[in-house]
Amino acid sequence: MKQLISRVLLGVCVLAASACTKIDNYDAPDASFEGRLIDATTHANFLTSQNSIQVRMEQVSWSATPTPQEIPSKFDGTFKDTKLFKGTYRIIPKGGAFWPIYDSVRVDITKGSSHDFELTPYITIKNFTQSLVGTTLTLKFDIDAPIPAGLPTIIDAQPYVNTTKLVGAGASIRDYSETKAVVINKEFIDMSMADKSITLTIPNLISGRKFFVRVGVRLNDSFKSSNFSEIVEVDVP
Amino acid sequence: MKSIYKLIIAISIGVAATTTSCQKLNIAPTNIITPDIIFSSEAGVNSYLANIYRSLPIEDFKYRPDGGDGGRGFNPDNPWMNFYHAGAVTGEMVGPFGGMDIGGGFGYWPYGSIRDVNFLIEQLPNYKAQLTEAKVNALLGEAHFLRAYYYFALAKRYGGVPLITTVQNPGAPLEELQVHRDREDATWDFIGDELQLGYQLMPETSQAGRANKYVAAAYKSRTMLYAGCIAKYGSVNFVDGDARSGGFVGIDAGKANGYFTKAFDAAKLVEGHYSLYNKNADKVQNYVDAFLKSDSPENIFIKQYSINSNTAHSWDATYSPRYMTANALSRAYPTLDFVERFTQLGITNSDGTPKRFTNLADIQAGLEPRLLATVYFPGATLRGLQFDTQRGLYSNFSGTAAAEVAKQPAARAYKISGDVNTLFEGRRIIGFTGIKTSGDELTRTGFYVRKYIDYAKPINTVDLYRSEQPWIDMRYAEVLLNRAEAAFELGNSADALTSINQIRSRAGATALGGIDMAKIRNERCMELAFENQYYWDLKRWRVADVVLDNARFKGLMPYYVINENKYIFLSEPETFGRNYNFEKKYYYEPIPGGELGKNPNLYPNNPNY
Repeated sequence: MKQLISRVLLGVCVLAASACTKIDNYDAPDASFEGRLIDATTHANFLTSQNSIQVRMEQVSWSATPTPQEIPSKFDGTFKDTKLFKGTYRIIPKGGAFWPIYDSVRVDITKGSSHDFELTPYITIKNFTQSLVGTTLTLKFDIDAPIPAGLPTIIDAQPYVNTTKLVGAGASIRDYSETKAVVINKEFIDMSMADKSITLTIPNLISGRKFFVRVGVRLNDSFKSSNFSEIVEVDVP
Repeated sequence: MKSIYKLIIAISIGVAATTTSCQKLNIAPTNIITPDIIFSSEAGVNSYLANIYRSLPIEDFKYRPDGGDGGRGFNPDNPWMNFYHAGAVTGEMVGPFGGMDIGGGFGYWPYGSIRDVNFLIEQLPNYKAQLTEAKVNALLGEAHFLRAYYYFALAKRYGGVPLITTVQNPGAPLEELQVHRDREDATWDFIGDELQLGYQLMPETSQAGRANKYVAAAYKSRTMLYAGCIAKYGSVNFVDGDARSGGFVGIDAGKANGYFTKAFDAAKLVEGHYSLYNKNADKVQNYVDAFLKSDSPENIFIKQYSINSNTAHSWDATYSPRYMTANALSRAYPTLDFVERFTQLGITNSDGTPKRFTNLADIQAGLEPRLLATVYFPGATLRGLQFDTQRGLYSNFSGTAAAEVAKQPAARAYKISGDVNTLFEGRRIIGFTGIKTSGDELTRTGFYVRKYIDYAKPINTVDLYRSEQPWIDMRYAEVLLNRAEAAFELGNSADALTSINQIRSRAGATALGGIDMAKIRNERCMELAFENQYYWDLKRWRVADVVLDNARFKGLMPYYVINENKYIFLSEPETFGRNYNFEKKYYYEPIPGGELGKNPNLYPNNPNY
């Protein structure tokens, strides 16, 4: 009996030792890719939001027709992904309110790769001022277009108000944001100077709160994306 | 010597054995049905066709535009949840979808079914002796119609797709099996040609649920109108990408009128063979019955259901409240925005105060019969019970409607409740049919769907999988609408006006004196409401991204004012509070990822996917 048990155990040991010898020898996704999205007019980081610019990557060293993956840009106009497979990628930023880039770049991505993209915004927001009277916030700004010819139709302008500094499309308080939009629906070249100077009013802000506020101008391109202003803090007394 | 005998015996046994063996095995397999068994008799062909018809992508009661739990859309695993309706993302209704949940499609890819049709088309000509040449031609026409139907479901989702018209051999080299996408215009042209073949080959009449030549013509008007709109409006509002520059999505604007002409001509062919249902002088009842009476001359192509074959649907049980059914769960409700397509409801006086109504049902006074037959208003009656829909109570009400609705909920003086049994001063706060904001099973907008509701069904039989009224996939009213739209696109506004006024006369609406595109489109939205058409209409007109631009919809909220003993109605945001946003890329669905993996020639994928 003892002999039988030891034989069975021996068999189990042999099987256990010979099993699981095939190991996954493909490198773990330890490559990384990061960079800045640069506004070609100011050379500062592109003012963006969530649901806006995506850096689209296709790993051409894996397949001729790879499935695209996207790195969403952060609010500060940078992007970063640290869990990528090493290889050659075809990369193009898209989805935001900038003149489309048609030539993708090819980057050999390893640990610590980086690449910056220079983008020309459709619309730049200038002279952005805010004034608070009581609980009514008035936002004023002018719009300008670095390249007016062929610009998509301007749909509307709207404020974005949130209680955190992550404020933008899809991250705002509806009653202070979407419902306070001003419809424009004009071509930029048809707009007068007065049209280009826009005022947005947000009444009935809650007293004693701090809000983060920015404005955006939405264009009728493929993504219906918006150009954004910088974010300002508003303390309602 | 003895050994020679042995040898002879051995050889002769051997020869005898080999010559008699392996004969019985050379027979046709008796447990496999071979093509000649199927195709040599009409009954066999009918059984083969039944399977193709069953898988036809008809967007009927059971269609789930988000694919459903099994992801198959057309034969979902939970066919009772009929409230998952495409109208519930477009503002016709609000309901189960949290937003624009259907824009990316569900990967519909019916090449298995198309292969079945291709096999039929390949085999039929071999059986002219058994079936007669006339019968073979008629069946071929039906097959071409069916193939067009499948390709239409593909083209409106993906644009250009591979046009496979032969039965592919699975053993063929991979390069032959990996078929390239065809251009979008080629795909629509193919659909038009197939329907034309169907029109030429099929007989004039058919049994219910099967195609005939006028069915093919009616679908030709639908499909060619779609193609014309893609050419005309898709060349203005589009998303750029490789698929577009390659012609796989999008059609040259110059081809629009060619398609509109085909649509108009096809619609005209149907004239005189079908007509609007007009058998009851009571316009409301007439319009209700148009969707329920099997003898309707308006029905061009229908899909039938039966409890016995386990195919019954659940429309009655999933569009009415439990109060009026044996067992039900409703979840999709028409919006006030949809109702206001017909007319602005007179709920507010000129000074802005809400109009007072003595009875709930008084809100229906003077409304278009078609509207009352499409939507159950507060105060309407179903199976002997009244829709006592009430959002809440006011002890007293002063001021304007607009001022009251603009208030924050906490600042409003109304009494509302999440439970039908809660009383205030001995009176129910909300009705048995709503409106409450907890749970989905009572209306959130004040309305319930009436179209297709089988009012004559006794209350105790209204249950899940117990509805048998057929789905009318194509009816003559749509042909008239297709004709009017195509005519107007071609500059023939007189013909458009005549067609629209035929529909309005049956609907009990006043005739129009003049016509424009907005009126034609609005007429279509009113007439074809809840028939899974509006989503595709918004897409082909390329206005979905404008109509559904972070859109929110309204409901009609009835309140009872206690001190006046009157009802008031307020136009308020629907109480789901849903937001619907249609992204431009949704004008085309993405080619299914699994298919892209199998066939790299399907690239480029549609723009922005």
